[in-house]
Amino acid sequence: MTLGRDAIAGLVCLAISLVGLYFSFGLPQLPLVPVGPGFYPRIVLAFLAILSVILVAQDLLARRAPVRAAERRPARRVSGNGYRLVGLVFAVFGLYVAALPALGYRIATALFVAAMQAALDRPRDARGWAVLAAIAVAASAATYLVFDTYLTVLLPRGRWTNW
Amino acid sequence: MLELLANGLTTIVQLQYLLPLFFGTLVGVIGGALPGVTITMTVIVVLPFTFGLDPLQGLAAMTGVYVGGSAGGLVTACLLGIPGTPSAIATTFDGFPMARNGEPGRALWLGIWASCFGGLIGGLFLILVTGPLAAFALQFGPWEYFSLFVLALAMVAGLVEASFVKGLMSTAIGLLITVIGTDPITSVPRFTFGSPFLTGGFPFLPVLIGIFAFSQIMSDVEKLRAPRSAAAQDAPRALRAPQLKVLGEIVTRPFLLLWSTVIGILIGVLPAIGGSAANMLAYEQARKLSKHPERFGKGIPEGIIASESSNNANVGGSLVTIMAFGIPGDAVTAVMLGAMTIHGIQSGPLFVLQNPELAYGIYAAYILAHPLMVAILAVSTLFILRISMVRLAVLAPVVLALCVIGAYALNNTMDAVYVLLLFGAIGYALVKFGFPLAPLILGLILGDQLEINLVRAIMTDDNLLMFVLRPISGALLGLAALSVGFAIWQHARHHRRAAPAEADF
Repeated sequence: MTLGRDAIAGLVCLAISLVGLYFSFGLPQLPLVPVGPGFYPRIVLAFLAILSVILVAQDLLARRAPVRAAERRPARRVSGNGYRLVGLVFAVFGLYVAALPALGYRIATALFVAAMQAALDRPRDARGWAVLAAIAVAASAATYLVFDTYLTVLLPRGRWTNW
Repeated sequence: MLELLANGLTTIVQLQYLLPLFFGTLVGVIGGALPGVTITMTVIVVLPFTFGLDPLQGLAAMTGVYVGGSAGGLVTACLLGIPGTPSAIATTFDGFPMARNGEPGRALWLGIWASCFGGLIGGLFLILVTGPLAAFALQFGPWEYFSLFVLALAMVAGLVEASFVKGLMSTAIGLLITVIGTDPITSVPRFTFGSPFLTGGFPFLPVLIGIFAFSQIMSDVEKLRAPRSAAAQDAPRALRAPQLKVLGEIVTRPFLLLWSTVIGILIGVLPAIGGSAANMLAYEQARKLSKHPERFGKGIPEGIIASESSNNANVGGSLVTIMAFGIPGDAVTAVMLGAMTIHGIQSGPLFVLQNPELAYGIYAAYILAHPLMVAILAVSTLFILRISMVRLAVLAPVVLALCVIGAYALNNTMDAVYVLLLFGAIGYALVKFGFPLAPLILGLILGDQLEINLVRAIMTDDNLLMFVLRPISGALLGLAALSVGFAIWQHARHHRRAAPAEADF
């Protein structure tokens, strides 16, 4: 029997709640308070574990029920390309977060905005690349100016660039 | 009360408060008009701008975003047939056909004035009801607070459209996030595994920003290569309408306006469901109560008035809940709650009593945001329409960079940015697995208070029956049980009618 989306989600949540329950019993019981630090987490984790089991059971029962394919509501399908793009965006954002402390806000943000634009809508000619670069520099400079200069919200300085 | 309100209005019209309110409303209108950018996203983007402001300036800006965003959705709903926000979906049903029938100005202005009237009536409710509700909430002990939070969580989990079990699980996940870190009563570290990064727990705002911003942006990225609607090319060039005639069309339907407004307010008061439910429900009610329901969907004014008056009235209702009880009425007020915490303000029943200047300043900002919204839309609708065509490739990185600023500026460390990334991935995964986000956010916000009040109640009296025997607490728990029962019945009925959806991956 294949597992559905809900069963997979239920099993993941069940595993998390069981691991959490295991660690919650290792928390110290303090003598001066009637309920220790593990009391409330155990309630939440047990609640999540029970719900996870129900979700898995619901999914398995729903899959056993003879629902004709034609009766199933078609969900919005996302193409493999769509997921690749999402993965790419996450990767670029991850690199941005990693680069921030080293390069500083201004450089890292300009690179990030440029990379994201190139990933989502790659320019086809030199003019397109120039517009992309201009938007990247302008976005970085404008946000820096507004936040760091006018709103006195300190933004990260680069460890390598000191800028 | 009137004196305090007059003081609030006098304060807000000063340039230092009026400017943030104006820019908040403008950004709200633009964000509301941008298809794919929700009001929550807009308020998240505006959040870091408020860090350098004083509390009333910041909250005025956010109130402006909320009011402007609730109305901004009607621009693209009426003129392009694409709702700018989920709270303007029902506006599309009659607004777009009316615009297609050669009356785009009439459709737009019916929506603008209905939003304004609905919002102002919602403001009246906000001003009149918040104080007495807060005074009532002052009688609450830990038992009542615990039961109130349980009621809020039960209602949210039950009211979501997805599976009830998933609604409850989403709540539990939100609560679970709050138990990581130091125990709020005994200060014992829990589930930190010796990591100093986890000792303080996950800060609320980066979690919220990560979950909402990423789930929204990634959903838009998924659809990026899909063929785009050609509606934008058909956008009207002129939006004139006879104002007196349009106003007449609204005021000659007082019952429709009032009933839709009441629906909006009541939906707003309920925790964590917002304008998206209000406009659909008000539209359905308007159609049911109409003498000519068959005309709905073909471009009649009733459809626009019902939808737009309810979604702006919803804002007033949401603000009541946050100001009287400290419970966010929806995701936007959840961000506002976070902003209040950053400014050192504790929302809840004592807020109105201890900070009347601030509370009435917020009321005044809310009222003043409506004429500002009308003025902004009057002057710049065609300009906003052009902005709404901005490419996602430009919008997404700028929004994400602002999210990073919002997270980083909380305590000037990268830790909050890492939390943002982590919960961005978790939020996207949860959406892909079909988990509703509203219950998670409410669980996240109420988790600490739920635990503190539960433990306080037990430390005061270890008789657990007290939760049921104390009248207010018992009544609240009874309502929570009813809410769960109703949700189970409703979902079972819905399940019988519709076969399950297939996974989309």
